[in-house]
Amino acid sequence: MKTIKANLKYLKYLFWLGPMLVLAGLTAGVVSASWGIAPLGLIVAGMVLIGLWLLFLSRFEESKTRPGFWRRRSTQAGTNALISTVAVLVLLGLVNFLGTRYVARLDLTENQTFTLASETQQLVRNLKQPVKVWVFDPQQSTQDRELLEGYRRLNQQQFSYEFVNPNAQPAIVQRLEVKKAGDVIVEAPTTERKQFAQSVGNDERLTESKLTNAIAQVTTTQQVSLYFLQGHGERPTEERQGAISEAVKALQDRGYTVKPLNLVESVAFPKDARVIVLAGPQKALLKPEVDALANYANQGGNLMVMVDPNVNPGLDGLLSPWGVTLDPRVVIDTSGRVANLGPLDVTVTQYGDHPITQNFGNALSFYSGARAVDAKETKGVTFTPLLFTSDRVWAESDIKKEPIQFDPATDRQGPLVLGFALSRTLSAPATPAKPSPSPSPAPSPSPSPEAKQKESRMVVIGNSSFVANGYFNQVMNGDVFLNSIRWLSQADQQTFSIRPREAKNRRIVLNSQQANLTAWLSLIILPLIGFGTAATVWWRRR
Amino acid sequence: MRIIIANILAIYRRELQSYFASPLAYIVAGIFWLLAGIFYVALLLGPDGVIQRAALIDAQSQQFGIPAPPVDAPTILLQFFLQALGFVSLFILPVLSMGLYAEERKRGTLELLATSPITNWAVALGKLLAVVTFFLTMVLPLLVYQAIAYSATNPPMSAAVVLLGHLGLILLAASILSLGMFISSLTDSTILAAIFTFALVLLLWMIDSLSRSITGPLGSMLGHLSLLKHYGNLTQGIVDSSSLILFASYIILGLFLTAQSIEAFKFQRS
Repeated sequence: MKTIKANLKYLKYLFWLGPMLVLAGLTAGVVSASWGIAPLGLIVAGMVLIGLWLLFLSRFEESKTRPGFWRRRSTQAGTNALISTVAVLVLLGLVNFLGTRYVARLDLTENQTFTLASETQQLVRNLKQPVKVWVFDPQQSTQDRELLEGYRRLNQQQFSYEFVNPNAQPAIVQRLEVKKAGDVIVEAPTTERKQFAQSVGNDERLTESKLTNAIAQVTTTQQVSLYFLQGHGERPTEERQGAISEAVKALQDRGYTVKPLNLVESVAFPKDARVIVLAGPQKALLKPEVDALANYANQGGNLMVMVDPNVNPGLDGLLSPWGVTLDPRVVIDTSGRVANLGPLDVTVTQYGDHPITQNFGNALSFYSGARAVDAKETKGVTFTPLLFTSDRVWAESDIKKEPIQFDPATDRQGPLVLGFALSRTLSAPATPAKPSPSPSPAPSPSPSPEAKQKESRMVVIGNSSFVANGYFNQVMNGDVFLNSIRWLSQADQQTFSIRPREAKNRRIVLNSQQANLTAWLSLIILPLIGFGTAATVWWRRR
Repeated sequence: MRIIIANILAIYRRELQSYFASPLAYIVAGIFWLLAGIFYVALLLGPDGVIQRAALIDAQSQQFGIPAPPVDAPTILLQFFLQALGFVSLFILPVLSMGLYAEERKRGTLELLATSPITNWAVALGKLLAVVTFFLTMVLPLLVYQAIAYSATNPPMSAAVVLLGHLGLILLAASILSLGMFISSLTDSTILAAIFTFALVLLLWMIDSLSRSITGPLGSMLGHLSLLKHYGNLTQGIVDSSSLILFASYIILGLFLTAQSIEAFKFQRS
């Protein structure tokens, strides 16, 4: 018994393990950010040890000279203190919790630099579905965080954001199709729609304008309808040989409605046609069809034209008013020999300065069997070349001649342009007069989306295989197509033109007298007063 | 009620007198003023100061004919200077708070205070008010020479943002001093009290960046505890109710814990 008592004297220090185990468990849980079996086990073990300790204090520490631990007055006072401390902590915690939920903010800066624009406030306050902003920036800039915090404050139920280190969480990176570090993606989880907002880095920080527009696009309920022209051997939209069903699926994932369009049945266009796509017609279009398309393009319609070589689609009536001509020759690319590519496989690594291709850098896209496209100055039309081939390329007039060689007489030396983006401002607010007054007395006043648009857009690419199944998900091919559709649908036209809140331009104009006075006061006089008084006080005390 | 206020005032007066009669307090103030002056002159007039930088940007924009981005020189000066002051305060404030109770313990006067009819929290409040007042007298002279620069801006600048920033500094100081007072009440060694206060305040200062590696509500909760974040809000000219609540919480927590600690001290011997 005596030895046990003596041992107990030292054994009781073992109880210090209790708090340490709890601490270790908490640390492990926080660091690994998961509360699995190990951290919880550590915490529980620590709690048990602490419990044993308290029990031990009450049972064994009793002796004749001192009352037991639990009977001492200091313990009672200590327990009271502990309970009231915990109560105050909980109370303060609650007050702070409520304080972060219901925040009142006052921005005293002159330009209201830290207040979000009224458009943003209205949009975010009225969000009907959850929206999450993912910032794939390992640096987590304070400025970006402040901006996002401002959004979250407007609507804590629906808006959330998260900073993600793209290297640490590849699953999320893959799901949201993140291209590089710094990308900001806005996601609407309920509709599974996502929208790239912008790329942040040291030279560019998150802007309210881009973020608000991305949120607006991801939550918009307005359906954008795309029509794929059929009936001339165009690539089929359903699963088949040479089909573009992968591209169609990607479009549907992004919230577009994709429908087929057959002009033979009726030459009238559906009203909701935002973009019409010609995906590689193999036969010439009929004249009424071409006229209808030209008319559509003149009235604010948007067209995506993809034409393969060795085909005469008969589109001159549509393309010549825009100043576009299709070169009939086939582009031969010799630069791909190393990569086991045939002479017909054209690779593009240079892109024009245009919203469609602005983030591409020198990434590769790939076109099997292409023709060059030319555009010339035309009144009212602005055009931007999109896809440049390398200079080891030429347009071959006779592909059957063996061996394929550059012939200066009939062939055309590269670099060539495979695609153009064009836009044409509508001269007058084109409100097509109704051909015949409708006899029904109640015309449905549906606001047509065209009413807002001030320009027509067109993308012409001398190839259609790059969107076909098997090619679409390769390299940048899908991005060329999807970005073109996005630009054509005029969704990039900023619905909210939020000017960035700029700081006031202000200078400090000090004359030399003022500067001297400042330096003297701050560096010499004030410290001297402090030290001088200290010395005097010390002297007097002596 | 009146008696309590009279008690608080009595403690306040006694503490203030001891501050203004102590050479250490003046040395602390002198060091604070010297450091603040060095930062201020470097930020304003130095080769990398705001005046030089603004002049450089203007010269560049004139040379290349590109309109320069707007530069708000006085606001930049204010923010950087307040940041520097906050940083200097991290080191200065533990020195001010270290003696609040530790000194009484050492001299043996704490028993008198603890058993006197004045309630513990009234003593704590009086002491806190006194030390905050002393810090205020350290900050006010800085406003004098800052006023020279802020009144010489073109276009003129409103005083509200300047005053708000300095109010933020006082609130920050009150929070730190309140927690420091509690730590001072735990020990009779002033050095130990200063070191522990400094460690605690440094933790509360940096906790924002530490919490970033933790996702979810726990991370944002820890981030909310950061002094730096809320002080930053105020220096930028934003009055955020949650920041004010947090500072108030720290002050109340420090006061409460101090009172509890003195209460426990009473019963330690029994």
